Amino acid sequence: MSDSKVRSQTPTDLRTRSGSSIEVELAVLQARTRRHFLRSMGGGLGTLFLGTLASKFVPSAKAAGAEAAALDFSRDARTPLSPLPPQFPAKVRRVIYLHMAGAPSQLELFEHKPELKRFDGQDCPASFLAGKRFAFISGVPKLLGSQYPFHQSGQSGQWISDRLPHIEKQVDDICFVKSMRTDQFNHAPAQLLVHTGNPRLGYPSFGSWVIYGLGTENQNLPGFIVLLSGGKTPDGGKQLWSSGFLPSVYQGVQCRSHGEPVLYLDNPDGVSRSLRRDMLDTIDEVNQQTYAALGNPETVTRIAQYEMAFRMQMDATDAMDIRKEPDSVHAKYGSKSGQASFANNCLVARRLAERGVRFIQLYHWGWDSHGADAKEALNLGFNDRCREVDRPTAALLSDLKSRGLLEDTLVIWGGEFGRTPMRENRGGQEMKYVGRDHNPGAFTIWLAGGGVKSGISYGETDDMGYEIVKDPVEIRDLHATMLYLLGFDHHKLNYRFQGLEQKLTSVKPARVVAEILA
Amino acid sequence: MTGPNRGGILNRFRLGLLVLAPIVVVAILVAFLPPDGNERAEWLQFIGRFHPLLVHFPIALFLLVPIFEILARSDRFAYLRLSVIFILALATLGATTAALFGWCLGRSGGYSGTLITQHMWGGVFLSVICWLCWLLRTQLREFGVTYAIALVMGVGLVAWTGYRGGQLSLGRNHLTEHMPSGLRNLLGVEDSSAASASSADPNTFYGARIQPIFTAHCINCHGADKHKGNLRLDGYRALMRGGKDGVVIHTGNIQGSDLFRRITLPVGHDDFMPKGKPPLTPNEVKTIELWIGAGASETLAVNAIKSAPSGSSVPAEVKFEEIDPATVAKLRSAIAPAVSQLQKQFPNILDYDSRGSADLRLNASTLGSKFGDRDLETFAPVAEHIVIADFSRTAITDASGAAIAAMKRLRVLRLMDTRLTDATLLRLETLSQLESLDVYGTAATPAVLPMIARLPRLSHFYAGQTSIQPGKSVPESLVGKLVF
Repeated sequence: MSDSKVRSQTPTDLRTRSGSSIEVELAVLQARTRRHFLRSMGGGLGTLFLGTLASKFVPSAKAAGAEAAALDFSRDARTPLSPLPPQFPAKVRRVIYLHMAGAPSQLELFEHKPELKRFDGQDCPASFLAGKRFAFISGVPKLLGSQYPFHQSGQSGQWISDRLPHIEKQVDDICFVKSMRTDQFNHAPAQLLVHTGNPRLGYPSFGSWVIYGLGTENQNLPGFIVLLSGGKTPDGGKQLWSSGFLPSVYQGVQCRSHGEPVLYLDNPDGVSRSLRRDMLDTIDEVNQQTYAALGNPETVTRIAQYEMAFRMQMDATDAMDIRKEPDSVHAKYGSKSGQASFANNCLVARRLAERGVRFIQLYHWGWDSHGADAKEALNLGFNDRCREVDRPTAALLSDLKSRGLLEDTLVIWGGEFGRTPMRENRGGQEMKYVGRDHNPGAFTIWLAGGGVKSGISYGETDDMGYEIVKDPVEIRDLHATMLYLLGFDHHKLNYRFQGLEQKLTSVKPARVVAEILA
Repeated sequence: MTGPNRGGILNRFRLGLLVLAPIVVVAILVAFLPPDGNERAEWLQFIGRFHPLLVHFPIALFLLVPIFEILARSDRFAYLRLSVIFILALATLGATTAALFGWCLGRSGGYSGTLITQHMWGGVFLSVICWLCWLLRTQLREFGVTYAIALVMGVGLVAWTGYRGGQLSLGRNHLTEHMPSGLRNLLGVEDSSAASASSADPNTFYGARIQPIFTAHCINCHGADKHKGNLRLDGYRALMRGGKDGVVIHTGNIQGSDLFRRITLPVGHDDFMPKGKPPLTPNEVKTIELWIGAGASETLAVNAIKSAPSGSSVPAEVKFEEIDPATVAKLRSAIAPAVSQLQKQFPNILDYDSRGSADLRLNASTLGSKFGDRDLETFAPVAEHIVIADFSRTAITDASGAAIAAMKRLRVLRLMDTRLTDATLLRLETLSQLESLDVYGTAATPAVLPMIARLPRLSHFYAGQTSIQPGKSVPESLVGKLVF
């Protein structure tokens, strides 16, 4: 493919032989390797042969039909993020994904298990351990009842613990999925699975798929913005918002949570906006020449990114500047401008949602409550995490609701797996602090907003909160459901890579959880 | 045939008599070694599996005979008569071979029951009839009545045996299964899926929850027609009787029940069931587990097991409709030029609601104060196609009231943080489709509430940060729709 482009460009090179085109020509020569020669030899002959076969055996009408069935996501190379209509009329126009990195304990927050409380401190039955693999639990651990009291709340009467008093007020707008399941029991692969549909590196994140499929309405801001808090990047790293094999223009743009949102966005002293424009025009010209000569789509990505950065100089600073919010709003969120906090990020998320950003991803780190030290103990650090997210999350929900944005925004809150009903006993000994190990077999997430039933719980775990007994939801089912809400059949949001029509839900059959759709 | 010895049947039909021997052998095999539901001898199965492949050759050959005979009555095709005997000889040989292979398959493949018996005897008799026709034809110079009857019977037998074979491989109701319901009613064919489900008492847990799982996954191989491993799962008694390896369900003993062990093995394990088919869903496995644990009773009440996964074993599904580009193009033809013109003028703010729709979505909020009354005017040609419009934070004023009121099909209208006042809002009574109206942060006053209350489809009215207050002067019909 790239060979033919290179060859077809040769006349252009001849025409502009003088001056800077020498470098271009050099690049062309460097780009052409022995591999190209071998590939065009073998591949070319093979293709010729296959071509003659295909013309005989493949009815062309059928091929044309298949083409028509595939959705077209092609765009002008200069505006790769321009909006495209969804496949079907969609309830949801944007997504705010609050990822609780480290896996918050569902048994301390949403899963009310009085039976587990009754067996607190007793030896865990052998059937819980047979054939199971744990990150840290060894020997026979003790069962651990919830550390905090539960009560029913809201008109829907859903059970919730006393750790989330603010989110509790929004409980009638929330749809709990208590039967989430994953097949990864370590943070990084489990986070990758939740974000990319695959536990291995190299696959596009959910946000990338969404802006690839729908583009974004505000061309002056990135379509997929990532904000971090909690002091650490999630274990899955920047791969969690990577574009994988999709063109890199679809990757998430990580913005800083304090100070300048994007470094070096301001013009340095002495550089005016028009001077910046002139500079960009010249760079563009050079890039255009490179693209014409080499045809690498990443060059177009670069041009587009320069242009976006230029437009962002105006809009991003404004969107991220929470100083513009009145004190009453800051009080509601618990935000304080100038620090990196989940509260600030929630407020920014609302401002970005208002400005038409398609996918806003927040991470809050520190939920890995093993109990190995105070910071990650259910009776200590866990409380801090709850306090850090409770008020701003609730404020975000109520803010979106009062502005009418919740009806076409999907808010997702959850971690990468669940936690065990057994108390962690690292090294087979009782630990100083109270904690739980990883449980991929069952965890809770919640959704709120457009197209989702509110005030319900879907799925059930057993009396110990250990295994799912009703309506299991795989990660791929959740992805299929989210894409459905955004107006896509998950089979049809495709990108051709390595000879496959790649999709977020990968190859195993995924199910749209129709029961939670409003 | 032209020889002088007309009575020497032994002479002229020597080959025919020779072929009689294997026919008799097959008949004896079918009579004395019938299929009994056990699987045996790999090599016998291997040979048997060629039965479906072979069986169609003699059928085709035999059907040629009556066609040739009929055509040969006219002088133009008289020559066809010459090949009839040869074809009959081939058909007899073919049918006998196919029957022999069929016996191998039936005997070794775990079949038993009336279907297989009828199919087998059908095959044997077909061989006999072929042979008979061959014999009669060799004797005759002209078309005889006996020969004609034998031919007709043969054709009938081909169809009947083939139907039984189809039932064996595709299911008892394979012909009517996908029959259009209109035709089904006309012919009075009952829906067999409903009929089979009613065999167990639907008020019992077994009848309502367990038997349907077996019916969906198991009875193709362990049913009335095939009982592989001598196991039948089409009724409670047969289920509890077990198969050749003994009982498959031990009441109350989940782990000791071979049936449960097999359905929970990893797919691909030698003992995994259903073999070669998708595994049971987790809910189905759970249901069976709970039922065995509760004593595997036939009469347990349907709602006796509280923790059983809910409802039907088939989860709700969403339907993805197909989009036909031609239909969409037709739908959009009236507005397409105007839309693409506007899209050029105002990039990224106007688009179709979906790929299959001619409805439009206008989001001017991203342009902010750069979007004013003059800009809104230019959307007049497509106004009636706009179903969702967002003018939040734009510079539009009450001068745009008429333009907004003209968007008669609006479902969602957002006017958040604009300079619009009651003057515009009071004109919106034309928007009979409106479901969501957002005036957050505008100068709207309680004066608009009576008019808002009259909007027939409105479900949400966002009035935060306005002079409208909760409780005060809110009409009855707006309670629960007002959001602050």
